[in-house]
Amino acid sequence: MKKSYISITFVTMLIGIMLAVQFNSTKQSDDRDTRDSWEIREDYTEAQELQTKLLQEIRTNEEKIAQYETDRHNSKEQVFLETLDELRAEAGLLETEGPGITIKLTPITQYIIPGESGPFVSSDILRKLINELNMYGATAISIAEQRVINTTVIREVAGVTKIDGYPLNTFPIEVKVIASSEDQANKLYNRMQISSIPDDFFIDNLSMEISEPKEKLMIPKYQNDIDVKKMEPVKEEGGK
Amino acid sequence: MWLPVLGLLIGLTLGLLTDIQIPDQYANYLSIAVLAALDTLIGGIRANLQNTYDEKVFVSGFFFNIILAASLSFLGDHLGVDLYLAAVFAFGVRLFQNIAVIRRILLNKWSFPQKNKKIDE
Repeated sequence: MKKSYISITFVTMLIGIMLAVQFNSTKQSDDRDTRDSWEIREDYTEAQELQTKLLQEIRTNEEKIAQYETDRHNSKEQVFLETLDELRAEAGLLETEGPGITIKLTPITQYIIPGESGPFVSSDILRKLINELNMYGATAISIAEQRVINTTVIREVAGVTKIDGYPLNTFPIEVKVIASSEDQANKLYNRMQISSIPDDFFIDNLSMEISEPKEKLMIPKYQNDIDVKKMEPVKEEGGK
Repeated sequence: MWLPVLGLLIGLTLGLLTDIQIPDQYANYLSIAVLAALDTLIGGIRANLQNTYDEKVFVSGFFFNIILAASLSFLGDHLGVDLYLAAVFAFGVRLFQNIAVIRRILLNKWSFPQKNKKIDE
């Protein structure tokens, strides 16, 4: 008899635990449901206050962000950095993208007489081409993926025309030109159509193809270092 | 005699003190399990009073009924049929029957204390 009581006790204990757990689990949802309308109103007001507070906080933070943004925008450092970037872009130290045209120089094979030296781009005509392109509004030029900048050297060395030391003897040679806008690119294209440069190239057995203006052209950055030899910064007077 | 009641109290206090809460979706199963456990307990008390108590039957019935009831409601949940109602019905009916039997046994016991042996259903 005693043994049976022990098992019954064990079972009742288990039932007690189950009941308690069940009670615990259902009790909470009961608590939530027993709020009367006034309590709900109070809670609602509290929640609204909290919301207003949070919204205010968000607004002040956003104002702060805006202020920081304008500060950053107006700061001297930012202006300097922007100017530096502009100057670098102008000097050709940054990769440039924009609307423009490509000019392809290909040798005219039927005029090449066997035994004579192959086609040859004269540095004079190349310089003339660059000058003309610049005159017509080109903002960036590359010849055979070599960026042309103000200090670019174009000269003939031992019968080969070199641009900054890069020999231009593999044809076709591609000249990429970027203009400031699509209108400018169109103008550039039209002016190149009536230019006399193709005739000059023709004398050297080269034909010049001018592509239609494209929306996006990539011009690489200048690959060598710019060696500044004869420039010195102006000493500031009166400043620090 | 007082040991089972003590066990129930201990179980209740333990459960309340530990503050265990089960997720809402399992509350259904627990309630069915509680019902099954109560049914087994009442059945056990009745068997005890009728001197047909078998500990193995009682303990195995306790766990088996709980598991069966819980799995039945689980199956019902997944089939979309309220199968737990079957368990509620079966256990509920048996619960009342058993309680009625216990009541009659106890009434007989107290009314005719000398004729204890004659009691049967």
